[in-house]
Amino acid sequence: MIRFAIWILERSLRPEVSASVIGDLIEQQQRGALWILGETISALWNLHARPQSGDSLVMTFIGDLRIAARLLRRAPAFTVVSVITLGLAIGATTAIFSVIEPVLLRPLPYPRPERLAFVWERGRDGSRDNVGYATFRDFMSESKTIEYAAAIGDWQPTLSGKDNPERVSGDRVSWQYFRALGVRPEIGRDFLVEDDVPGKNQIVILSHALWKRRYNADASIVGRPISIDDNPMTVVGVMPESFDNVASPGTQIWRVLGYANQPWTCRTCHHLRMLARIRPNVSMDAARTELDQIHKRMERAYPDQYASNGAIVVTMQDEATREFRPALLALSAAVLLVLLIAVANVVNLQLARAVRREEEFAVRVALGASQSRLFRQLLTEGLLLAFLGGAAGLLVARSSLPLLVSRLPMSMPRLGVIHIDMAALGAVTALVLALTLVMGLAPARGPVRDLGINLRSGRRLSGGNRTTRAALVVGEVALAVMLLVSAGLVGRSLIRLLSVDAGFDPTHLLTLQVNSSGANYREDAAVIAHHDRVRELVGALPGVTSVALANQLPLGGNTDMYGVLDPENIPSNPELVPSGDRYVVTPGYFATMRIPILRGRVFTAADAADTANKVVLVSAALAQRMWPGANPLGKRLRVGGIKGPNRVVIGVTGNVRHRGLDATTTLQWYVPEHQWLEADNQVVLVVRTAGDPAAIAPTVRKTIASIDASQPIINVATMDQVIATSTTQRRLALVLFGAFAVAALLLSVAGIYGVLAGSVAERTREIGVRSALGATPANIVGLIVRQGGRLSAVGILLGLAGSLALTRYLRTLLFGIGPNDPATLVGVAMLLGLVTLLACLIPGTRAARVDPSRALQSE
Amino acid sequence: MLGELEQVVLLGVLRVGKDAYGVPVHDEIQRRAGRDLTLGTIYKTLTRLEDKGLVASYIGAPTAERGGRRTRCYTVTAAGKRSLQATFKALRHMAAGLDVGLEPT
Repeated sequence: MIRFAIWILERSLRPEVSASVIGDLIEQQQRGALWILGETISALWNLHARPQSGDSLVMTFIGDLRIAARLLRRAPAFTVVSVITLGLAIGATTAIFSVIEPVLLRPLPYPRPERLAFVWERGRDGSRDNVGYATFRDFMSESKTIEYAAAIGDWQPTLSGKDNPERVSGDRVSWQYFRALGVRPEIGRDFLVEDDVPGKNQIVILSHALWKRRYNADASIVGRPISIDDNPMTVVGVMPESFDNVASPGTQIWRVLGYANQPWTCRTCHHLRMLARIRPNVSMDAARTELDQIHKRMERAYPDQYASNGAIVVTMQDEATREFRPALLALSAAVLLVLLIAVANVVNLQLARAVRREEEFAVRVALGASQSRLFRQLLTEGLLLAFLGGAAGLLVARSSLPLLVSRLPMSMPRLGVIHIDMAALGAVTALVLALTLVMGLAPARGPVRDLGINLRSGRRLSGGNRTTRAALVVGEVALAVMLLVSAGLVGRSLIRLLSVDAGFDPTHLLTLQVNSSGANYREDAAVIAHHDRVRELVGALPGVTSVALANQLPLGGNTDMYGVLDPENIPSNPELVPSGDRYVVTPGYFATMRIPILRGRVFTAADAADTANKVVLVSAALAQRMWPGANPLGKRLRVGGIKGPNRVVIGVTGNVRHRGLDATTTLQWYVPEHQWLEADNQVVLVVRTAGDPAAIAPTVRKTIASIDASQPIINVATMDQVIATSTTQRRLALVLFGAFAVAALLLSVAGIYGVLAGSVAERTREIGVRSALGATPANIVGLIVRQGGRLSAVGILLGLAGSLALTRYLRTLLFGIGPNDPATLVGVAMLLGLVTLLACLIPGTRAARVDPSRALQSE
Repeated sequence: MLGELEQVVLLGVLRVGKDAYGVPVHDEIQRRAGRDLTLGTIYKTLTRLEDKGLVASYIGAPTAERGGRRTRCYTVTAAGKRSLQATFKALRHMAAGLDVGLEPT
């Protein structure tokens, strides 16, 4: 900083002046960079002498800057409006790009990240499917293009202990996982091949955050066992703080997989993701071809265990950003449109000002200022405005970015490294400056050239300026239409989505997870006794209408599916067996969720107690899939493999939306808790309440804790909150698009208003003549409104055309409506038409009040 | 009649006495008047005062801690002191008899 200060001061000030200041700054430099910067600017400002011939460019520039600042200070309304407009636009753009750069563009934080790829099975419909362990193993042994590879499985362990049990999100990974990523633990060791076998796999590595938070950054934890799900597992390492687990953001603990030769290592158990590092000398395409062919060989070797068609290889970077790319790109386009509108508006203001400043320029030309001198003056004013806008933008970005980040989905990769991107801020500000100059200087040419004539003749205003302003306003309206259409489409999609029938009644429902893990719950009977006690005590609370337990809930984000078989019609290839969501529930489940029973009956306490005669309820879609057109009641069903027991269908339920309101419907089957293979250690309690479900949550929590305080109670939420969470991304998109659209609307309306107001002021004489010749006030208002209406109509038409061309890129954000939804287009056109009409009326009525005698005398 | 900034800076130079250059004058004004003027403002005011003949300047010795730069030190001239007296006298006359707490106690 001090070197910069010396550099600029030596070049800008006369040596006899600069020496004493520079000396003072060097002497006091311990006061900090900010102080030096402030003092330097102040010194430049105060001590700079009037430019003389032969002075350096810097000195003339500072002279210009002083004039520019003085002019801006003299037009506070213009300055404040411009700086706020630019600041909001620059800030919003910077915030959005500060998210996009690390999430979408920045290479992943691993060595040679372009070599990393996910390997999927390609489903019949082209979709990507997880791999089974046997498939993973064969890929590993046969591939010559893979350097390292790892299988990744979901893991949600409870860190047990004396006082505060805690559920954390983890991953089970095969031993090469960190080697494939190219990272090593900071403390301790990596997983080894000999760890990755059954019996020896009680070994974990901690994330830096978990180690710091739960184990107080105690390095001696390495090598010691910790209690996980009440089993001792040895911590062998801690990852560095800088390690960002892009494969599953938020993972806090890794356990070695240790799957070899276990029953769940089959080819049809699709529950692992496969990550591979491709050898450095092999192209990604070669790896893609090889892995695809290996998989096809496996399909030929085990025709009854695959229904897939080759392999899909996607780079890790593409995979990590796949889900968010369309929304983020749409948002960045939207924010750029807002930026354009803001710049257009500021240029418009500048042009309006330029008209008023024609005399100033004319005088300066008359006094001998050269054209280039005047241009330099305009340039400096633009620069100063852009700089102020950039500074305001920094403030806006600084306050809005944390808000934005806190609302981003947790599954978004690289959230932790998002910070204000100063390069983006600089680039956006430079872009604003360039746009201001191109849009603002070009039309200024005319007036500057003709100034001499203007001054002599007393004539005012140049046509070029007026055309440019009209064009800018048309452009603003067009861009605003596009933004409003986008926001309208996203908003209507959300409304459609929320009106989707989830298949149950989400109001007045409280949900939370009940755990029964650890030494006291080794026996299923103990788990079920715990569940019964929870139901009994919570069900007896005042305000509770009914309670039930289930292994999972709709829209809860779980995937727990089993193959469903008709014992009389078993397909030869198990991959062709339809899968259904497993719902293991207590008898009150249907009443509590208000899931309709279409045929037959629900479970009774007698069913639950009867372990011999097993019963099942199926969703209408599952019944239709298994026995099209036939009566499903009394049919038999097997779930969980060919060897599973037969269960008799006793009822048909309505379908529920399991994966999401916007996802394809799945098939569901329901069995009573006591009749399932084993008790679930983690179940969801669902409580129907008479009043506000959130209000009763603390009581319910306390009641459950009173039964067994050692079990963590997590995910306490009302069903409405669960639904809101399942639509977070759309809500965020709507909030942002909505804010951008409103800003665009306001700016473009202000633009129209500004143009018309300026035009009325310029045409005072003409209007005076008109009314002197008998035009009624209504004629005059009509004149102005027509002028504004033409601008707005052209803008709206252009905007609609632009929308038709571009809204298809929003498709992933839409639900239930097409990108060219006519109602949205018409609605937006009408809204803008109406609002611009209002904006025209104010200058219109002002014009109508023009007093002809005074208007004509004023010349 | 001196401007307000000129009064403050003149008094600052007087208070510092020997070797009154930017930094000590700044610190003195900050300590006594609670005003954090920038060095640029102070030097600008001093230049104006010098043009009016109210202060005189001389070049000090270059030192290492100033990166080899010389100080420019200021002293208040007789004319400067007279100006201050005139200004204060004028203020006293203006304030005399007003019940707004301006009379020196």
